[in-house]
Amino acid sequence: MASSPGQSAFKDNRRVIIFALLAPVLAFFIVFNTIPTLWLLGLSFHKFSLLSGMPPEFFGFRNFQDIFRNRNGIWGDLGRTFTFVGVGVLVQTTLGILLGFLFWGSKDMPGRRLALTLLFTPMVLTPVATGTFFRFIYDPTFGVLNALVGWMSPTGTIDFLGNPQIAFWAVLAVDCWMWTPFMTLMTLAALGSVPKAELEAAEIDRLSWPKRVSLVIWHHGKFILMLGILLRTIDSFKTLDLIIPMTKGGPGQTTRLVAVELNKQSFESFNMGWSSAYSVLLLLISIAMTSMFIFILNRRRKGR
Amino acid sequence: MTADSGGKTGTRFVVPRRTILKGAAVAGLTGAFSAPFINRLKAQESHPLAGQKIDMNILGIAGWLPSSLGVKMSPMFADYVKEKYGYDVTFGFAEAPFADLFQKAATSLATKSQEYNIIISDSQWLGALAKPGWILKLNDIIAKNKNLQLDWYSDTVVNTYMKYPDGSEDIWGLPQEGDTKALYVRKDLVEDPNEQAAFQAKYGMKLPSTFEEYEELDAETYEKIMEFFTRPDQGLWGAAWQYSRVYDFCTCPLLSIMWSRGGDIWDPKTGQVEGILNTDANAQAMELYKSWLKYMPPGATNFGIAEEIDVWTQGKVATCLQWAAVGLAMITPENKDKVLVVPPPKFGKGAEAKRVYCMGGQPWVINAFNDDAKMRVAIDFMNWWYLPETTLEFAKRGGNPTDKATLSSPDFDTINPWNRAYKFMLETGRSRDFWHHPRYSEMLAVQQEGFTSYMTGTTASAKQALDYIACQQQQILYDDGTAATAPSDACSSTSL
Repeated sequence: MASSPGQSAFKDNRRVIIFALLAPVLAFFIVFNTIPTLWLLGLSFHKFSLLSGMPPEFFGFRNFQDIFRNRNGIWGDLGRTFTFVGVGVLVQTTLGILLGFLFWGSKDMPGRRLALTLLFTPMVLTPVATGTFFRFIYDPTFGVLNALVGWMSPTGTIDFLGNPQIAFWAVLAVDCWMWTPFMTLMTLAALGSVPKAELEAAEIDRLSWPKRVSLVIWHHGKFILMLGILLRTIDSFKTLDLIIPMTKGGPGQTTRLVAVELNKQSFESFNMGWSSAYSVLLLLISIAMTSMFIFILNRRRKGR
Repeated sequence: MTADSGGKTGTRFVVPRRTILKGAAVAGLTGAFSAPFINRLKAQESHPLAGQKIDMNILGIAGWLPSSLGVKMSPMFADYVKEKYGYDVTFGFAEAPFADLFQKAATSLATKSQEYNIIISDSQWLGALAKPGWILKLNDIIAKNKNLQLDWYSDTVVNTYMKYPDGSEDIWGLPQEGDTKALYVRKDLVEDPNEQAAFQAKYGMKLPSTFEEYEELDAETYEKIMEFFTRPDQGLWGAAWQYSRVYDFCTCPLLSIMWSRGGDIWDPKTGQVEGILNTDANAQAMELYKSWLKYMPPGATNFGIAEEIDVWTQGKVATCLQWAAVGLAMITPENKDKVLVVPPPKFGKGAEAKRVYCMGGQPWVINAFNDDAKMRVAIDFMNWWYLPETTLEFAKRGGNPTDKATLSSPDFDTINPWNRAYKFMLETGRSRDFWHHPRYSEMLAVQQEGFTSYMTGTTASAKQALDYIACQQQQILYDDGTAATAPSDACSSTSL
């Protein structure tokens, strides 16, 4: 059916309005996202140091070769980063879900609001500040944690951040302390999305708790929860500001994650070409991880 | 009495002598008082900024007292130029910790910004700041300004804070704060008669307790002192030295031990590192340094400047290798009568024993992108900074000047408790700087990673860590074009 001239004009106007409304966001996105990303991509094929005083020189794939050729380079950093992300997100999700259910099931508990506020405090702190005060808490000479250790076991102190066997886990523990509340928040949001009527129906049908969780709660809350896990995974992959004040990647390389190495190469050594290539690789990894999550979510949606 | 003393009478105008004298006196006084004003007006008129108001920004090191002194004293400069040149100047101060200051400066200078007009740089950054043309070359400025043609205390001052490349005559910085390593010793402990007697009984030698005795102290004896005072049950340890991975904290004391034992780290002429750094002798120096951890409080592998200050001021260590510039933080009202600041130990035995420690301190550098007015103020500031009265005031406030005149003045040694040790270590040959190379930060990052990897036990062998560092640094210098030789084939098997 052919549209009338009035309808066509409306459609044209509507397109103009939509474009006009989107234009500022698009402009912002292009200027601050697309162009820098393309610039980064271009720079990754160049040899360019800010300190050389020389213009970028085309380098082909040499930056990428150098990244993979270095024995202490990307593989070790990636291994540590994936461990950090995997273990961290798993612990945070597990604890977050448990705490979420606890608060969800205790709505009449006195002081619940205050407890929730206190629980969310670590999440709103600046990671650099958190890292700095945990460095002092962990300190073997005057740290409060070692004072407690000394009180319980007079045999000696623990060098949490100086011992290569412990440092990684000590940093990870702080990450979990900081971000478990986020997963609690996401769990509470997921539980809030479950219709009350369905929960009541499940109760009337005398469904067991595991069945209620798998058939009712998970069905409604999984998207929000998975979104939380996705956000935590991406964020955890970029962890830098917590590590810098605590260990700066040490002792040795035991807490050197990919973001720490990238920061060192780009903003301490100013190797912009090499850092761009490294960033491109990390971007590809992030895209792959995100795609996997979205694929899993969509597959479940289709399968429901 | 009148002017006409001849006694002749008539219609002549007679001026009393008293009036003449009074007039002359008034004219003389007026002239005397107005001469400086006229001179000042002349000076103000001749200064291109007379009557203007200029805002300047200094970038300095956060939490570093000598750095902040430059800023705290800047109102004196404002008064000085107002008086002398007739312009107003105000100073803003931006700061960042040691480890981040270069990053802050470089990212600003790379955009040709004049956000920071004067920068307190670390000495090793001279190459990195000079090579891209970010800072002003000072040879012509010095040639035109007599105040800047100072007689410096030693060649070490010139080589550390002013020149890049090493050995050239190109000058890029002027010393803001001189600094050397010094050993802070608990005077109350080493002078205690009971401790003296116990040490004598245990080691059959006197416990060193004077500046002169520490001047002759070798590392072997120093180790005895560390061992003697290591008493964890009393919350006391023998020493605090730096082992931290942050910035150059582990590097500075470790290189000092290597140099003092006759080792070296590279050949600045050829850029060769492999075979010079990764020697057995340097590996032994690393092993020795690691073995000293047993005399230090737990967690010493994380010790940097601040951590050392903490354990020292809490009275947990008997000795502490620290920068002379940190004296004001190390010597508090509580411990001021209990501290002896002396030269750090020598390495080796007898006449062969020597000490070559890392230089500290920072130069002033001037942003090359300053506009004419700010550049002029920056140069006026430098001229003012090296006036004898400014230098003396700086010393009195706890700073370490570097010019021969101030350091040679009879009362300099007594102005601050660390001055004598600082001056001693500033003598040629007792301290040296490392790598004024543009790739400094990259070489340092690798080195810190390798050194701390060994110190914390992540890498089992000192030689393995040194091989890794040498190969990585050789590659950095080869890529840069400084080194003619690429890393050897053996480098393919090095790792931490």
